[in-house]
Amino acid sequence: MPPEKTVKCFECPEDLRIKILSELHMLFQNDVAELLKPYSRLIICSALFAESYLISDKLMKAVTKLWGVSRNPYCAGIYLGRLRRSKPYLIPSAMLASAVFSKLGSYVNSVVVSESGLKPFLYGKDILKASVIKTYPKIVSGNYTFVLGSDGYVYGVGIAEVSGEEVGGLKDLDLVVRNVFDVGWYLRGGTEPRERKFKIRGKRHA
Amino acid sequence: MLSVNDLTNSFTLDVSTYAKTLAGRYGFKDYMVERYYKIFGDWGVVEELLKSFDKPLHSVVRCNTLKVRDCGYLAKRLGLLGYSLSPIGWCDYAFKVLSSGLIALGATHEFLVGMYYLHRGSATLLPPLILQPNADDVVLDVAAGPGGKTTHISQIMRNDGVVVAVDVNRGKVRALRSNLERLGVYNVVVMRADGREVLKLFGEGFFDKVLLDAPCTGEGLIQIDKSRKVRTEVRDLANAAYLQYELLMTSLRCVRSGGYLLYSTCSIAPEEDEFVVDAVIRDFKEVEVVDIPKLLDFSPGLTEYHRMRFSDELRRCVRVFPHIHGMEGFFICLLRRL
Repeated sequence: MPPEKTVKCFECPEDLRIKILSELHMLFQNDVAELLKPYSRLIICSALFAESYLISDKLMKAVTKLWGVSRNPYCAGIYLGRLRRSKPYLIPSAMLASAVFSKLGSYVNSVVVSESGLKPFLYGKDILKASVIKTYPKIVSGNYTFVLGSDGYVYGVGIAEVSGEEVGGLKDLDLVVRNVFDVGWYLRGGTEPRERKFKIRGKRHA
Repeated sequence: MLSVNDLTNSFTLDVSTYAKTLAGRYGFKDYMVERYYKIFGDWGVVEELLKSFDKPLHSVVRCNTLKVRDCGYLAKRLGLLGYSLSPIGWCDYAFKVLSSGLIALGATHEFLVGMYYLHRGSATLLPPLILQPNADDVVLDVAAGPGGKTTHISQIMRNDGVVVAVDVNRGKVRALRSNLERLGVYNVVVMRADGREVLKLFGEGFFDKVLLDAPCTGEGLIQIDKSRKVRTEVRDLANAAYLQYELLMTSLRCVRSGGYLLYSTCSIAPEEDEFVVDAVIRDFKEVEVVDIPKLLDFSPGLTEYHRMRFSDELRRCVRVFPHIHGMEGFFICLLRRL
């Protein structure tokens, strides 16, 4: 997060809110704001880059107090992810995925990765076919997907290189997920950006 | 409140020859040993305390019940990594680490996915347990640091209500944010600000409960950091007490009438503990010291020390000593705004 004085936080404009929530709907196949109620108000904090958070009405009262004296929070509520200028507008966070899966009591759009695959992933490496134990639909090539351990915890977020149904036909060393964020960052934090830069390619559902 | 210079003068002690001898033997500042004698009035007990500072402090794994349904499952996983854990009787989701495994506790997969928070010692679990925040409370954590107590408060509140965590240090706020994300804590607003600004930021009586774990000299943490045996001069104590007084006066004004403020330090120096609380209850007036739930057999707060006489109410505050309780030194006082 850049210097606090330069951070500007504001409630998300309705048009952007709709875009973000519809992207999240595609990723999780659920209305995330509805699912995570009372955390359903979207705020954006913007400085060198923009980040979004889901907060409750109760948290909003504290945030509004800060806005009343021209100050901004450093962060608040559930970190949804970092915003991009073009589609997809949001890089979803591991925190969001954990929150959604916990509420759903099941998984969607994820790959379950073996212990031997998780170790390099937590150092920023990508996921190869040899490490994939299982997939949960619907993984779409070029879209975000979530990386789970066999314990069911979310270890990171990546870009799917192939769609879910193609995984079975791949060779062991074929790339399945490109690393965008892994929880190993909590150890490496401060020495590198949270989310890696990436380009969107391949087919995406609209 | 006195000036820092006046505080330094009033905190300065005449040191006896025996205190100097013990200080030399155990590697402490002379005045600290003299101070311990003034607290306990028994050189034998003072020596027990000095020896206890050389014993290792067991770190503590706090199972994060926001992400782990069965803490036994976490203990089993850490056991497979070679860790030997022992349950803490008064906190059923925390474990003392008796012996280490192959991977550092701050780098396991279990840590990275937020199954636990790693505390330096067990006394640091006490303030949130004593404050007892409810799910509908609005709580302020002043000087929140990396969030050990903030995340514990949220865990007790089951991620409901509101916690506002304030710290001025950029690195600590960054670490706090990481810990909130890692542990899946939703109900927190983080603000980077000086704790003395909280009244200006949130106004009078905005909070139901406030936790002020004040910045201190850390004299209770000598087991972790031996340099603290000689690092603190009397003037440092005076500076700390002055800041603590300011933080406590400001934080109290943020508590609603009938609300609670928990003041704690990881120091056993009366200058940072009873002296500060006594000055505040004298100056603030609309506040009382209340009894603390008997989680363990605490030592009572002091009502006199050196040439100082404190309010009898201070007996309700509690002290934790390494040689008595087997934990890092700690001071806790629970105040209620009238």
